[in-house]
Amino acid sequence: MLPGDINLNDLFVFDDGIPHDWFRWMRANDPLRWQSETEGAGYWCVSRYDDAVAVSRDNVLFSSSAGGTNIFEVGEEQLVVLRALMLNMDPPDHSKYRRLVNKGFTPARVANLRSGIVDMSREIVDRIAERGECEFVDDVASQLPMMSICDMLGVPVEDRRHVYDLSNTLIGFDDPEFQVSDEDRMNASVGMFEYAQKLGDARRANPVDDLVSVLVNGEVDGEKLNDLEFNSFFLLIALAGNETTRTVTSQAMRLLIEHPDQRALLVDDPSLLTGAVEEILRYNPAVIYFRRTATADTQLGGQAIKKGEKVVIWYPSINRDESMFDDPDTFDIRRSPNEHLAFGVGEHFCLGANLARVQLNAILGELVSRLPDMEFAGPVRRLHSNFIDGIKEMRLSFTPQGKAT
Amino acid sequence: MKIKVDYDLCEANAICMRESPKVFEVDDDDNLQVLVEEPGEELHASVREAVRLCPRQALKLED
Repeated sequence: MLPGDINLNDLFVFDDGIPHDWFRWMRANDPLRWQSETEGAGYWCVSRYDDAVAVSRDNVLFSSSAGGTNIFEVGEEQLVVLRALMLNMDPPDHSKYRRLVNKGFTPARVANLRSGIVDMSREIVDRIAERGECEFVDDVASQLPMMSICDMLGVPVEDRRHVYDLSNTLIGFDDPEFQVSDEDRMNASVGMFEYAQKLGDARRANPVDDLVSVLVNGEVDGEKLNDLEFNSFFLLIALAGNETTRTVTSQAMRLLIEHPDQRALLVDDPSLLTGAVEEILRYNPAVIYFRRTATADTQLGGQAIKKGEKVVIWYPSINRDESMFDDPDTFDIRRSPNEHLAFGVGEHFCLGANLARVQLNAILGELVSRLPDMEFAGPVRRLHSNFIDGIKEMRLSFTPQGKAT
Repeated sequence: MKIKVDYDLCEANAICMRESPKVFEVDDDDNLQVLVEEPGEELHASVREAVRLCPRQALKLED
């Protein structure tokens, strides 16, 4: 491989999986490589662990709000809309909103949801167990995140498919198969906002024990969220809560099928599951990159960076940094310690990390114990994206089993 | 060694409790309690790990 071949803007490369040989080369030879762009000013690529931590921790120098968190550059008008999402805020605004919403995601709160999530997982596996085959992404991986996040928000069962369909329309921006027109996307945003508005109004009138009630009735600096703020929260949580956990669940099953020795360990000793989930998160983090924008001239890992330049953290590379992880390319469910950054670190540390861990443990626990011989029954088709390491289709077969309930 | 908690940042992820259970406790209401504000020498290593691993960087050490 020649360094000149590296082009992280080329989405076709990501169709075959994360280009780890490129990242390995960058970590060793050019840890803050400059990536040029045909439509855009170019950006610095953070490929090493320590630099990723430094950037994530310094929200003043490396801003999420200045230019948003995607690589593509957007105009000021669109930035105003993006900045309504917490993802694209800096402190002190971000800290303020986060204090309001994090009440719904603390470990104790999530622990209360655990038994419900375990029940849902059993039900999901029940639906496919007797069939002996499934399309894993749609039949399994997408189900639990949608059910859990809707449960948490307080979306009634009959509305969940609607919210799920809207969130899919909004996120599939790069893949031609999911390509939706700007008009479709706009309609989906409007649809999501309308739905949020309707549910928010209902909970304002009659609060119940759900996250929407907390959001519409809670206060930031003595003020309630306005409609745009609340609707944006709802949209972000619905999107982030669906796509990411679905992705990791699909990647998890792919990894276990591709590493039969590791799956056998897990089948023999279910106590290894918690560690296995962490290794899956390290090995295939759902989010491939987030971007920051330098707010002043600075230095990072010996590289001069100018004010206004884009700095992009590539999590699959961070999670395989040789200086942090022994044999980083080995998938080892007993790896310890395992301080991966799949959830990021610092101010923007994934709000849903606890919820995601509970879900992944629940669904994988059911799958591994009840359908231990799942195999590929067709090609694994990946999402055409350098942002989400998604799988869009994965047909599996297995020995049919009875239902648990 | 003195431990400072920024309660505006803390989200009770309880990593500190895992690393240094004699010093940190997250109670059932998701409040972080510092059990020993000035831990003895034998606890310093585990407290440093807790500070380093806090995903929200809510912990600071003072001499």
